[in-house]
Amino acid sequence: MSDAAAKSVQDERRSRLIRNGVLAVLALIVVLFPLIGDASMENTMILALIFAIGASGLNIITGYTGYLSLSQGAFLGIGAYVAAILGRSMPDISPFVWMPVAGLTAALLAMLLGLVTYRSRGASFVIITIAFLFLVQFVATQWVPVTNGTAGITFPLPTWSNAVWGNWPFHLVLVGLLALSILVSWWIRRTKFGTGLIAIREDEGKAGSVGINAPIYKLLAFGLSALFVGMAGTVYGYYLSFVDPIGMFSILNSVIIVLAIILGGRGTLLGPVLGAFILVPVDAFANNYLGGGNIRLLVFGGLLVLLVVLLPKGIIPTVQLLLEKRRTKGTVGLTGSITALADRPLPPPREKLAPVGDTMLLQVTGLEKSFGALKAVDGCTFGVPEGSITALIGPNGSGKTTVFNLISGLMTPDAGEIVLDGERIEGLAPWGRAHRGIGRTFQMTRLFREMTVLENVVAPLRDFQFRQLGLGAVSGSEAEKAEEFLEFVGMQAYRDARAGSLSYGQQKLVELAQILVLDPKLIMLDEPAGGINPTLIERMGGLIRELNDQGKTFLLVEHNMPFVLGLCNPVRVLARGQVIAEGSPAEIQKDPLVLDAYLGDDYMLENRSGDGAAAKGEGR
Amino acid sequence: MIALTQTLILGVLAGAVYALMASGLTLIFGVMRVINIAHGAFAVLAAFLTYSLWSAFGLDPLLAIPFIMVVMFGIGWVVYQGAVRHSRGSHVSMTVLVTFGIALVLEGVMGIIWGNRSASIRTDYTDASVEVGPFFFPQVQLLAAAIAVVVLIALYFLLNKTWLGRAIRAASVNESGALLVGVSVAAVAALTFAIGIATLGAGGAMLGAIQPIVPGTHYQWIARLLAIIVLGGFGSLPGAVIGAMIIGVTEMLATTYVGSAWPVAVPFLIIFIVLIVRPQGIMGARLREDLVS
Repeated sequence: MSDAAAKSVQDERRSRLIRNGVLAVLALIVVLFPLIGDASMENTMILALIFAIGASGLNIITGYTGYLSLSQGAFLGIGAYVAAILGRSMPDISPFVWMPVAGLTAALLAMLLGLVTYRSRGASFVIITIAFLFLVQFVATQWVPVTNGTAGITFPLPTWSNAVWGNWPFHLVLVGLLALSILVSWWIRRTKFGTGLIAIREDEGKAGSVGINAPIYKLLAFGLSALFVGMAGTVYGYYLSFVDPIGMFSILNSVIIVLAIILGGRGTLLGPVLGAFILVPVDAFANNYLGGGNIRLLVFGGLLVLLVVLLPKGIIPTVQLLLEKRRTKGTVGLTGSITALADRPLPPPREKLAPVGDTMLLQVTGLEKSFGALKAVDGCTFGVPEGSITALIGPNGSGKTTVFNLISGLMTPDAGEIVLDGERIEGLAPWGRAHRGIGRTFQMTRLFREMTVLENVVAPLRDFQFRQLGLGAVSGSEAEKAEEFLEFVGMQAYRDARAGSLSYGQQKLVELAQILVLDPKLIMLDEPAGGINPTLIERMGGLIRELNDQGKTFLLVEHNMPFVLGLCNPVRVLARGQVIAEGSPAEIQKDPLVLDAYLGDDYMLENRSGDGAAAKGEGR
Repeated sequence: MIALTQTLILGVLAGAVYALMASGLTLIFGVMRVINIAHGAFAVLAAFLTYSLWSAFGLDPLLAIPFIMVVMFGIGWVVYQGAVRHSRGSHVSMTVLVTFGIALVLEGVMGIIWGNRSASIRTDYTDASVEVGPFFFPQVQLLAAAIAVVVLIALYFLLNKTWLGRAIRAASVNESGALLVGVSVAAVAALTFAIGIATLGAGGAMLGAIQPIVPGTHYQWIARLLAIIVLGGFGSLPGAVIGAMIIGVTEMLATTYVGSAWPVAVPFLIIFIVLIVRPQGIMGARLREDLVS
C-alpha cells in the first residue's frame, strides 16, 4: 500500500518534471521564433501571440467567471484604434506610450460592458456582446472626424528602423504581454479573487448569499480581461500599419478567440494559449491554401459546431481526465458512509425547549412580493427572537421560500421592512446581508459543484476589502477553521472531494459548515431535514441544538412536523403569504386556524395525548 | 404630416414581414430555449433559393413560397437533428455558439454557391405601387405583408387548434411534464425547429423581391430579428408581432429623419438597451425562476 503510494508520488514528480521541461522548451521556441521561421511563419506567429493574449484574457471572464463573450475582438480593435488616433495626431511620440493608454481604454470599456452583467446573464449576455461588437464597429465607421470612417487610418512609421530590427520589436513585446497575461491569470486562480470568480460562475445567487460582492468582482474581471488584449491591439495596429472598421472589428476575430478557449479548455491556465496556437495556423492555412473568405467561414463555423458538440470540455481537461482515469484505475473512491458523524457524541437532550427572549434579532414587517398576478407574500409580519430556534411552517406554496429569499436578499420585496439587529436591511444586496450576519442554506442544496468541499467552505467572505482580493485562496488559519467546521458536521473525510459528487444529505451538511464560516448571527435553514434519512435528521437536529447552545439564532423552514415541534420554539405559521398564527409548538398544535390550513383535522386525533412531546408523533 | 404617415405605412408593411420571420425564432426559443443565431442566415438562404428558382425557371417568388417552405422545413429538420439537438442540455451560452457556427457555415456555403455579391429578383410588379390619395403602397411589400398575415394566422391556428400545437405549447411550458403525459419532446422539438424555419422561409422568399440579397447581410437580419423578440419578450408570439411593428416603424423613421446609415444601428441599440432595462421584454412576465437563478 505504502509502496504504491510512494510510487504514485514518484510518478507524479516525474510527470511534473517532464511537463515543465516540455513547457520550457516550447516557451524558448516561441521567444526565439524569428530566428527559425520564414516571413510567412513569422506573420502567423505574431497573429498567434495576439490571439493567445486575447484568449488568455477572455478566459478570465469566460473560463473563470462563466460569462461567454463574443466581443473580445472588439477590444483588440479598440486598442489598435486608440493607438492609431493618438499616433496620427502626435506622430513623434513612441508607440510604447500609447500601449498602456490603449490597454486602459479597452479595460474601461470592458468594465462598462461588465456593468451589463448586473442585469443579464447566459444567452442574453452573449447576444449583448455581439451587439456591442457591432455597435463599436458602427461608431468606428460613422465617427469620421476621429476615426476617418471606412477609409481607415494609416499608422506613422515606428521610431525604430525596420530594416535593422525586422519583426523583433513586435514579436518580443507580444511575448512579454502574453507572459504577463498568463502570470495575471495564474495569480487570479490562486487568490480569493479567483475563488470568488469561480463561485460566481458556479452559482452567482449563491455566491452573493455567502458574502461575495459579485459586481465588483465581475467589473475587475472584465477590466483585466481586456487590459492586455487592448495593449496587444496597439502592437497589432503598428504591425499592420493600418486599421479599418471592417478588418479590425470582424466577428471572426472574436470567434477565433472563443474557439481557442473552448478548444484548449475553459478555465485552465494554458488551454486558451494552446487553443490559439492551434487555430491561428489553421486560419493561416485556410487563407493561404484554401482560398480564404468563404472557406474560412466554413472552417470556423464548422469547428464551432463540432467542438461544442464533441469536445465541450476542451483538450487540456479531457487529457487530464483521461490521465486521472488511468491513474485511479482499480482504486476505490470514498463511499457515502457518515460514520464519522455517527461516532460523535450527541449533545445532552434538553430539559425543555429554548426559552423565548423578548428582543427580536430579526423583525419582518408587512413584507410583500408578487410574481405577475400571483401574490406570493402578502403582508407577512413576524419576528425571530434572539437566541431562539424559530420555525416557519406552512403548506406548499404558502410563500416560505420566497420569504427566505426576501430576507437573504436574493429577491427584493415590493413593500415592507426587514430589520436585523436594529438595522434596516431590505435595501442591501445579498452579500451586504451576509456581511451583517445572515447565513442561509437552500432547499435544493446549492454548493459550488466544481469546487472541492474545502474550497466551498473557505469561499464565504465576512466582509469586503480590496486588499482581500489578493490574499491566497486558502490560507493556513482559514483552512484550519474550515476543517474545524467540517469536523463539526462530520464531513472532514471528504474535504478534497468535488462538492458535486457528494450525496444530497452530505451536501446539506457541507452547506451548513459553509455558512458557519460567515459566523452568522442568524442561521436560516431551508428544509434541513428534507430528503435525508432518519438518522441524519436526528444528527441535524443535534447540530442545530449544539449551535443554538453556543448562541446562534435559527430560522427554519421545515415540513417534518415531529422535527419542528421537538426542536423549535416559537413557531410561525404561514398561509397564503401571511402569518396566520404564532406561538409555542403546543399552542400551534391546538390552533384551529392552523389545523384548518395546514396540519389537518386528523393531526389532532393522532396526537391527542401529545403535549408538546409531539416528536414521537407521525406528523401529517 | 403626409411624409410622416407615408413613413409609418412603409414601416408597418416592413413590420409584417419581420413579424413572420421572427415568429419562428420566438417559437424555437419558447419550446427549446435555444436562441437560433442562424435564423438570419436561413432567411437569406431561402431568398437565394427563391432567386435560383426565379432565374432558372422564371418562377414567380410568390408562387415559389409553398415549395420554399417545404424545402426549408426539410433543411431545418436536418440541421436540428445533425447539430442543434446535440447541444441541448449543455449551457445555454453553448447553444448560442452552435447556432452561431451554423450561421457562419451557411454564410460560407451561400458565398460559394451564389458568390459574395448582391442578387435581386425583378418581377413585373417590382416597381409598381398602389396609390391611395396622397399615399403609395409598393405592390411587392403589400403582397408580402398579406402573405405574412396569412402564414401567421395559419401558424396561430396550428398552435392553438391542433394536437401538435398543444404538444408544442405543453413542451414549451414544462418539458418534463409534457414527457410524462406522453408528448415525445424530442420529436416535438425537431418539428418546432423545422416549422420555425419553414415560416421563416415564406418571409425569406419575399425578401429577394423586396431588396437585394447578399450572404453577409445575415448579421443584419439576425440583429433585427433578435431585437424584435428581445422587445416582445423571448418566446411570445404576440410579442414578436408587436416587436416587429416597432422595429419596422423605427427603422423607417431613422432612415427618413436621421440618416440612411442609422437603421443598421437601430436593432443593436434596441437589443442593448432592452436587455439591460427590461430583460423580459414588453410582453414577457418576470417569473419566479428568473429572479432566483
